[in-house]
Formats: sequence, structure tokens, C-alpha cells
Amino acid sequence: MNKAADTDPNQETGYKTATAGNFRSRRLHFLGLDSDDIVKAFFGGNATLAIIVLLLIMFFLFKEGSGFAGQNATELVSFRQSGLEYVDLMRSQLNAFNDLPRHLSKMEAEDIKFRMKEGDELKEAREHTKELRDYTMELRKAVRPLDRHIKELSETSIVLRDAYKTYLNRCQEKDNLQREADKAARRGNTELENRFRAEAAAVRIASIDVAARRATVTNRLPEFLAINAELRAKLGVLLENAPAVDREVEDEMRRFRSKAQRFIEVSLQTEDKLRSWDAERPMPFSRRITSFLFGRDWVTNSYFQDWYGVLPLLYGSVVVSFIALFFAVPLGIAGAVYVNQFASHSEQKFIKPYIEFISAIPSVVIGFFGVIVWGQFVREASGWAIFSWIPGFPISERLNAFTAGCLLALMAIPTIFTLAEDALNNVPKAFKEASLAVGATRLQTTIRIVIPTALSGMISAVLLGFGRVIGETMVVLLCAGNRISIPDFSDGFSTLFQPVHTMTGIVAQEMGEVVSGSIHYRALFLVGTLLFFISLAINYMAQKIMRRYSIAEK
Amino acid sequence: MSESKAHIFRHNPRSWTHRKERIAMCFLRMMTYFIIFCASYLFLDIAIKGAGTVFSSSFPFVNVEFLSGSPQTLHVFEWQGEKLEMSDAQFRAWATANAIDAAGFKTDTYAYSGGGILPAIIGTVLLVIGSMIIALVLGILSAIYLSEYARDTKFIRAIRLSIVNLAGVPSIVYGLFGMGLFVLYLGWGVSLIAGWFTLAFMVLPIIITASEQSLRAVPKGFREGALALGATKWQTIRTNVLPYALPGILTSSVLSVARVAGETAPIMFTAAYAMRDKMPWEADSVTGFFTQGVMALPYHIYVVSSKIPQNEYTARMQYGTALVFMIVVASIALLSIYLRQRARERYRW
Repeated sequence: MNKAADTDPNQETGYKTATAGNFRSRRLHFLGLDSDDIVKAFFGGNATLAIIVLLLIMFFLFKEGSGFAGQNATELVSFRQSGLEYVDLMRSQLNAFNDLPRHLSKMEAEDIKFRMKEGDELKEAREHTKELRDYTMELRKAVRPLDRHIKELSETSIVLRDAYKTYLNRCQEKDNLQREADKAARRGNTELENRFRAEAAAVRIASIDVAARRATVTNRLPEFLAINAELRAKLGVLLENAPAVDREVEDEMRRFRSKAQRFIEVSLQTEDKLRSWDAERPMPFSRRITSFLFGRDWVTNSYFQDWYGVLPLLYGSVVVSFIALFFAVPLGIAGAVYVNQFASHSEQKFIKPYIEFISAIPSVVIGFFGVIVWGQFVREASGWAIFSWIPGFPISERLNAFTAGCLLALMAIPTIFTLAEDALNNVPKAFKEASLAVGATRLQTTIRIVIPTALSGMISAVLLGFGRVIGETMVVLLCAGNRISIPDFSDGFSTLFQPVHTMTGIVAQEMGEVVSGSIHYRALFLVGTLLFFISLAINYMAQKIMRRYSIAEK
Repeated sequence: MSESKAHIFRHNPRSWTHRKERIAMCFLRMMTYFIIFCASYLFLDIAIKGAGTVFSSSFPFVNVEFLSGSPQTLHVFEWQGEKLEMSDAQFRAWATANAIDAAGFKTDTYAYSGGGILPAIIGTVLLVIGSMIIALVLGILSAIYLSEYARDTKFIRAIRLSIVNLAGVPSIVYGLFGMGLFVLYLGWGVSLIAGWFTLAFMVLPIIITASEQSLRAVPKGFREGALALGATKWQTIRTNVLPYALPGILTSSVLSVARVAGETAPIMFTAAYAMRDKMPWEADSVTGFFTQGVMALPYHIYVVSSKIPQNEYTARMQYGTALVFMIVVASIALLSIYLRQRARERYRW
């Protein structure tokens, strides 16, 4: 088609829109189009193709992600109907109890550490804490009947859940076929209709009596109540006979007591909840999505129940990004201000390309550097004496949110630096000159005139740096530690040094292994869609701010 | 702006204002050089530790096996008081030569630590070439349409805005899309062609935006002059717009080559294999060439730094791969920075 455009120049004597009349007839025509139209159509076709492809990306993400809602509804309904939710209530009580011996073990470890610092041998120290250890053992023993009981119940429920899920899926399949048949009937295609009907009839649904089977679980409530009451009684006795502990861990012991008191309340509440639990309570429609958006657990391939809640991942992404920005913003902006306002010409010529060049380092190389060098260094540095006042130091995990955040800062710096420098460059020279002329120093001019003028550009530079960081995959996959949990914020500052998992990381890690079309697959697409929207929003905001408040462009 | 010349309005160097300025400047300079220090540390760490693997002290000064072999298991063992290290193929040859039963001989083995990375280099080159051809053709032609032909309607503006925004979408999202559409929905499997399209669509928005910007930077007068002389629209574009926009377009495309070569996330599930013995050209048919998966440098680095146990032998391999990869990407990026500087000096209006 390109060739067609290069026809004999003698024939192309006039620009198309310039009063066509005289020249038009001499042009080469093909299907009523002259060569220029053909060229235009060629380019236009290309542009359309590119745009269609880019729209396809959005469409495809939504399409795959949107299937999640329906499948999640099946999950949630079967979770409730099979009584697994009922068992889950008991399980959460069990987890609350298991926290108690864990607390004591931690306390014991601390005590031993302290005694060894005082000069005791390990053996001596362990001898000393024996009483506490036995006490912990007693606690563990006390909960065993409850543990056994819950395990039994959950096995029954899981079998029921799986059967019920199959049943629901079959029903849906049949429904779909029936609907297709109806559609064919409306179009008058009898052959197709019959085929669909036959297929629908062929779908065999083994009916199950969910209510009856669920009742085998719920009817055992008195048993549970008895076990629970016994547990509470035992705990009460144990609390009264708690061993005396060293002064150093007395605070911890007090915390243990209050935790135990809280457990007793929790256990009573759980009993109330179990009594009022009703399998037929309707599942609100919004739960399909809110259980994703506000769910606090992301558990996959578990024997009990899978959960797809994005909150821990979102937390990870956000916390890593903020650590990155915490370092990247001051450094990037300071660098930009320095290079633009204070640096000599030769410095400028060296620093600018160098920092731009940093953005060309592939992210996987930075991640690799983090795994091999930086992570090691962070852990080592956390043991230095100057950091000993920080609670939680020295840290145990080499790869954590902080490690990844620092490396991401290195990736965000070039973006922030380059864009902020551009913004500073766009400040009209006259502003600066005027300020200098009235006697302000360079620092005063920079702070009072140049930076405020370029502020919008700098804010959008930071936003774009944020966008770059939150979408980064390889560094967080390699260096963030990949533990899916919302940490306990009571640890304060050292929360930042715990391993996290991020939205980008989870997609990269789990996508290779999922079955196409399963709920897990769709959940990952939904995470991708969420990422897509977050980055769109950030970009859009950055552009809006840039355009809205820029002085230089006007 | 020189402060050396003393004139009557000069600030008193001992005044508080002046001192404050010096301190602030010092602070800013330290911050800037801190960035440079961090980046340099990373470069040097990889360069120094990687050099031991990639280069050698004797002729031909590069590690031939590393650059021309496939990844293999490394055997480490003691033999007559000497500590020997051999990659799998070497070990077998050695065992045959010394009449030793290779299967029964006990050695310490380290996966991925022997041999070389040639398949990964070739895979990366193939991925880059294919995806750039697709992206450049689509991207530049679309940019010409958008800047030269399309009217400035609301619709076009919306499209332009969405293209600009798509440029900031994380690469993993493109990987997800490529996996869903090409690998699973269209059934291409993990293949070169799926990787091409995924990478091409990832850089498409960047290429369109940058090319359009450089096309628009050509002054209107150039076009009007040509049109006034009676040239057709296409003649105008060909002779008076494209030549002046080309340097800008070139720069942006070289930069996107660096990006395509450096990305891992989009090819993780669309094109990359952790290990593949065959070279790409050993495919059994013409279509087999396109539907095969390949090894790629970034993915190889990911695999050797996260999927296998770490020890001194793997570290060598990792640093070597990282250095080769850095050299490839950095030279592309340097080329683009150089081109941009030249273009800036050449065309000014």
C-alpha cells in the first residue's frame, strides 16, 4: 500500500483539500480513493489496530477477573451450607487459645536469653525455667480434647463442602445448558435446542441432603459446650497456680494473664455465636466482592478453606512503596535541586546522564543484588550496637519489607530525579533573575521562587515514582520475603522489618501454577485488575496536577 | 552565576545567610553524591565479582565456555589430591578418558552452576528483535496517524489520554494479559511468539507517546511550506516531517529496546523456560520455531538467584550472568542516551 502512495509525482499536483475541482480529475483513483486517502487509511488502520489491542488488554483483564464474583459466591455459599463456617468459629477460638502457650514459650526464650547474658550456662538457665516449661505443657495438654473434637468436625464438614460444591457446579452447568436451549428455541433452531436439552438431561446431579448432613455437625453442640466449659475450668485452675517468674519477665506474665482472661470472654462469645448461627441466613450479594477487597486472609491450597482477601497483599505493596518513597523522595528531589540550581556545568554533564542511566538497570539485577548483598548487610547492620535501642533488633529475616523498599528506592530515584529536574528547568528564567536582582541569595531564590513554581511538576514526579514502585515485580518477589500476613502492629518500628508479600509478587509467584479458569486463577486476574486501576489512577492524578498548576506552560 | 567576582553587592562571606547557603549546598551535594555512590557500588559489585566468571586472565581473555555453552550441573570432587571442578559434559568426557564409571563416581553436584549461558543470550536477542519489529511497526505508524491525520476531536483526545496512561501500567499486568490471552485462550502455549506479542504490547504505548511527541515537535511551518508548494499530505510527511522527527523516534525506540530486554515479569509465564537444552534454531519445523519457549537472561537470573540453593559455585554463575546482562542492557541504554544528546544538539528551532 505504501507503493501506491508513491505514484508519479506529476499526477499529484494539488493538496487534497485545496479546492479539489481543478486538480482532482488528474489524480490516480482507485475504488474512488486517491493515493492520499489510501495512505491515510493505511495509517488509520494501523492506529485502529494498536488501539484495539490496547483496549483488548483492559477487556481481557476484566473478563477473566469478573468471573471471580460468581465462583466466589459458590465458595461462600458452600462454606456456609456445609457448616464449615460453624466449625471455623470454633477454630478461631482454638487459635485464640493456642496463642497462650506460644506467648509463654516466647517468654521463656526471653528469660533464658536474659539469664545467659547474666552469665548462666544454657543448661542452668533451662533448669531454672523448667517450671514454666511444665506449665506451658499443661496448657497444651488442656486444649487437646478441643483440638480433637474440632478436627473431627472439620473433616465431616470438608467432605460435605466438596460434595456440595460439586452439586452447585453441576446445577449451574445444567442451568446454562437449559438457557442455551431456550435461546435456541427462541431463534427457532430445533436441532440445536434438542441437542442442548439432551445434554442438559445428561448432566446427572446426585442430590444431597445438606441440612441433614450438616446437622450431624451442628447437633454436636452440647458436646462442644461441655469440652469448652471443662477447658475454661482447667484454665482457671491453671491461672491460679501459675508459677512464679523472674522479675524481668513479670510484665510478660501480666500480659499473659490478661490474654487468658480475654480468651475466656472470647470463648463465651463463641458459644453465643454458635448458638445463634444459622445456615440459611442469606449471603449478601456484595460479599462476593467485599470478601476479596477487605478480606484479611490470602490462603490457597489449604485443606480447610481457601480465602482470597487482598488486604495483606495491598498492605505489603503499600508499605514497601512507602519505605521506598521515604528514601527516594528526599534523595531524588535534593539531587534535582542541586543539579539544576547549584551544580557546575561539568558536574551537570556527568550527574544527569549517570542518574538517568540508573533507570536502565534491569529490575531483576537489582533484586539479585538484594538477595546476595543488601539483605545480608541489613541483617548484619541490625545487630550493630548503635541500633540496639530499637525494639525487635537484631532482625532475624534477611529478606523483608525494608530490604525491598531500599532497593525500590534506587529504582524510583531516576524517575523522580528526571521529572523533578524537568520541572525545575521549566521555571521561567525571568522569575529567578528577578529574585536575584532584588538581592536574594541563590538559596533564598531556590526555596522561595524556583521550588514553589515547580512544585506541581515535582509532586507529579513523586506520584509517578510511586507508580513505578508499586508496579515493580522482580525486586519484591526476590527481596520482600514473601510472607502473606498482616503483621502485628504492636511491634512498632520493627514491623517494617517483617517479611511481606505484595500484589505484584503474588501474581508472579502463583500464576505459573494455577489451573486456568479456577477461582484462584480469577483471583489473580482480579489482583491484576486492581493493580491496573491503581496505576491508572496514579498516572491520571500526576497528569492532572501537572497540567492544573503549571505556570511555565502558559 | 559565578560567585568568585567580588562586587559591591556581594554577600558578606562571614554572614549567617551566606553560611546557611554553604551548608544547604553542601547537604544537597552530599545527597546527590550519595545516590551516585549507591548506584556505583551496585555496578562495581556486579562488575568485579562477575568479571571473574566472564573474563579470564589468559588468551582469549573471555571465558569461552561460559559464553558458548548451556547451563549444566557442576561436579566438584577431589582427584589425586587435586580439587577439580567440571561441568557435566566435561566430567563425562573426563570420566571416559580416565576409564571411570561416571555414574558410580561420587562428586558434589551443584545444579545450574556449570556450563554457560548461550541459550539465554540467544533467547533474549530473539525476544527483543521479534517484539521490537512488531512494536515499532505498529507504534510508529499509529503515531504518524495520531499526530498528522487525526483531527483533534474528543474521541482522539480520550484515546491519546488512555495511551499515555497505559504506559504506566505495571509490566506484570501485561504478563498476566499475555498469559491469559496468548498462552491460554489462543492456545499458543509458552512460546516465543506469545512473548513477542506480550513484550510488544507492553512497549507500544511508550513508543506511540514518544514518537508522537517528536512528530509534534516539528514546527508547523515545515508542513505548511511543503503544502503551499503543492505537495500532497503524504509527500509533506515523508520529506518535511519524518526526517526531522526521526532522531527522536529513534531514541525512544532504543530506550524501549532496553526496557524490553530488561523486563522479566511479562515473559515469566509467556515465553521463558528455566532450562532448555536445544538451541532455538534446532526446532523441528518452521512453525516449531515460533511455538517453542526459550531461555532468557533475566529469567535465568531469577531462577538461579531464587529457585536453587545458594553456595559459592552458584554465586559465580549468578554474577557472571548478571554482568553479561548488565552489559547488554547498559550498552543499549548508553546508545540511546548518546543519540538523544546528539539529536538535541542537531535540531533546534
